[in-house]
Formats: sequence, C-alpha cells, structure tokens
Amino acid sequence: MSKRARKWVIRAAVGGAAGLALGFAIGWWLWPVQYTNTAPDVLRRDYRDDYVVMVATAYEVEKDLDQARQRLRLLDPQEPAAPVVELANRLVEVGGAAEDVTRLARLAWALGTLTPTLTPYLEGQP
Amino acid sequence: MSGFSARLAAPILGLAIGLALGLVYTWVIAPVELVNTYPALLRTDYRQAWIRLAALSYVTDGNLKRARARLDGLKREDVASAIQALIEEYAAAGRPADTLRSLTTLAGTLNVHTPAMLVYLYTPEPRQPTPARTPSRTPASTPTHTPAPHAPPSPTVPAPQPTHTPGPVADAVSQSPTSVFASTGTPAPTPTVPLLSRLYLAEQGLVCQPEQTARIEVVVRDEHGAGLPGVEVWLTWPGGADRAVSGLKPQHGTGYVDFDAEPGVSYALSVGELGLPLVTDLRIEPCSVQEDDREETALGSWRIVLEPR
Repeated sequence: MSKRARKWVIRAAVGGAAGLALGFAIGWWLWPVQYTNTAPDVLRRDYRDDYVVMVATAYEVEKDLDQARQRLRLLDPQEPAAPVVELANRLVEVGGAAEDVTRLARLAWALGTLTPTLTPYLEGQP
Repeated sequence: MSGFSARLAAPILGLAIGLALGLVYTWVIAPVELVNTYPALLRTDYRQAWIRLAALSYVTDGNLKRARARLDGLKREDVASAIQALIEEYAAAGRPADTLRSLTTLAGTLNVHTPAMLVYLYTPEPRQPTPARTPSRTPASTPTHTPAPHAPPSPTVPAPQPTHTPGPVADAVSQSPTSVFASTGTPAPTPTVPLLSRLYLAEQGLVCQPEQTARIEVVVRDEHGAGLPGVEVWLTWPGGADRAVSGLKPQHGTGYVDFDAEPGVSYALSVGELGLPLVTDLRIEPCSVQEDDREETALGSWRIVLEPR
C-alpha cells in the first residue's frame, strides 16, 4: 500500500470512528427511540408494584375477580396471580404497609394462591 | 484545492459511514430497552385503566396524597375523562352512594366536574331505611339501590373516610344556582325549616299515552319552580322499596326522577330520609287514550310534582 493510500485509509478510519461515536451519542442519548403505547409489564418496578396494589385495592370496591385477573394478566399472562403473591411476600419481608399486604392477601386468596406467609394478614392479624 | 478535497473526502466518507452504522445499531439493533417506563407512556386504554385503578383505590383507602402521586405526570384531560367516565358509569349502575361520594370528592380535588357529580357531592350522608318509622311499609326485600357500607371488615384496613372538601363544594354550589344544599348543606345556622321538610304534593296528574311503560314520575322543585337535583326520593310498597336521586336524567330536567311501577300495587312516595310519605295509595290503573279515532286502553303513569310550602 502506498503512503498516500495508507493516509487515506487512516483518515477514513478516523472519520468512521467519529461518525460511529456520533451515531451512538445521537441514538442512545440525544435522540433515542421514543416508546409510547407501552403496556404495564414494562413499567418501572415501583410503578409495577403500585399497579398490583391498585388492582388489589380496586378489587375491594369492584369485587370483580375476572376483571382483576385480566388486569394482572398484563403483567404475567401465564400466572396472573404470581405478581400478587410475589409482591405481598416482598412487602412482608421488608415490612411494607400492612394494609397493602392485607389487600394483596385477599386478592391472592380469591385467586386461590394464598401462601402461609399471607394467611395471618387474611385473618386480620399480621 | 484538489489536494485539500482529497484529504477531506476520506474522513467525511468515514464519518458518514460511521454515523450510519452507529444509528442503525442504536435505533434498530440495540435500541434503548423497553423497561422502566412510566404510566404516562402507557397505551391509551391502559392509561385509562391506571387512572381508574387510582380512583378506585382512593375509594378504598381514602389516601388523597397517594392518589395524587399515582396520577401525577398524566395529562389532565386523560385524568378528567377517565374519572368522569367512572363516575357516570357508577352512577348509572346505582353503585353505593359512599363510593360515588368518594369518587366525586377525588374528582373535586382534581378539579374535574361532571353533572353526575353534583348529586353525590351534596347528598346527605346515606341513610338506611328505618323500618321502625314506617312499620306498615317496612321494605321486606332489600331495595336494589339501598346505599350500603362497602368498607372491608378487616380492622387492619382503614375505613374510607368520605369527606366533603370545602373548596370544590363551594365551587360547585356556585355553579348550581338551584341546589337545595346551598341552603341546607352549609353549617351556618338558619331559622328556616329545611326544604325537604317543607315539600308537599303540589300536583298529581295521570299521564296516558299509548304503549307507554307504567311509571311514577316525580319532579322536585324549589320555591322558584326550578328543578332540584340531588333529592333522595323513595318509593315504597308492601314488601319493597326503591330509591332514586333526582337529576340523574338531566334530559328530563334537574329535579326529575322516575320509577317503574306495576298495576295492582299500592305505592307511597317520600323524600329524604325514609319517613312520612307525601303521597300514599298511588296505584297504576288503566286509562283510555284516543288514537286514530279509536279509543285504546293503556296503563296510566303518574306525574307527581313536589314543591316546598
């Protein structure tokens, strides 16, 4: 390779590297893909937890188990009750609000997935 | 000049190719991952469901701060439309007055207003029918619209606290010039007798139209003859009772309420707390109606007008 060609390649490589870096910067930070129309399953964890608590709390008003199950399917289509039990157990472990655990326990019981950890909450004696 | 162009051509070409590759990689191959989103990004129906859940949760836990936090970041129009729809749906479904009162309280604090709210913002605390007052008309069967407490029985769950928020109530009162509660709902002492106690039967007429459903229509008016929304009207009969609140069918007027009725039953009508009836022995009876030079028999409906003395 001649000296001139080598210089050309180096310049092109430097330009390419700069372009790549610029592309990464634009694509990931400056102008990333904007998502809208998302579903509850991709909510941030705290929002997701809140969603589950709200489903359990709304169930107290609506008493509509099918509706609650349908809402939970958006988080776990295979096992809709799983997020309820998982969150309730997690709240018990970290000492979360007893009211929330009680509501989750009630919904878990209605869905037929009550665990021994949650039974005291269902009986009103956490 | 040509040497300068040749020197620039290589980096520019490299930059363009690198930029293209970078964008393809970041936008197509490895875009920002779809995790850790937030409610405002939810699809419209999920977003409406989120708002509905937040409102219903408020009904149960009465925690306004938490409800606000859950709705924070969402567009006001979305929140307003979802809560309006929920209130109207619940009002139409005859949900317990406590639930509707909590929802309207939440709506009021969020500055959301809908006609169905007015009724529940001002209705007095729900009262169970008291059979002791009317032994002869004790509702043996449970009325379908009887307000019932809905709070869960567990002592660990705080009972919902339906509270009246002074601000929105005052606002709404000013928007409703004919509201009966403008005079009865304020704590200021007044020597006047409450309007509900002064209501009497002002008019009673038979409505006879071909192929009509037998009904008892009630119109509650104030001193100026304007319809009064939010008045609890009871229809009782031997072995049953039904309750409705005026103003839920605004197309018929703000003081209007109606009940389906059957022939052969003696009905009584009372307002507010189930007590002394204003009208008794109200019966659906056949009536004659003229149609195309023929005389037909139909079931007559009663139209009752109640006004204060």
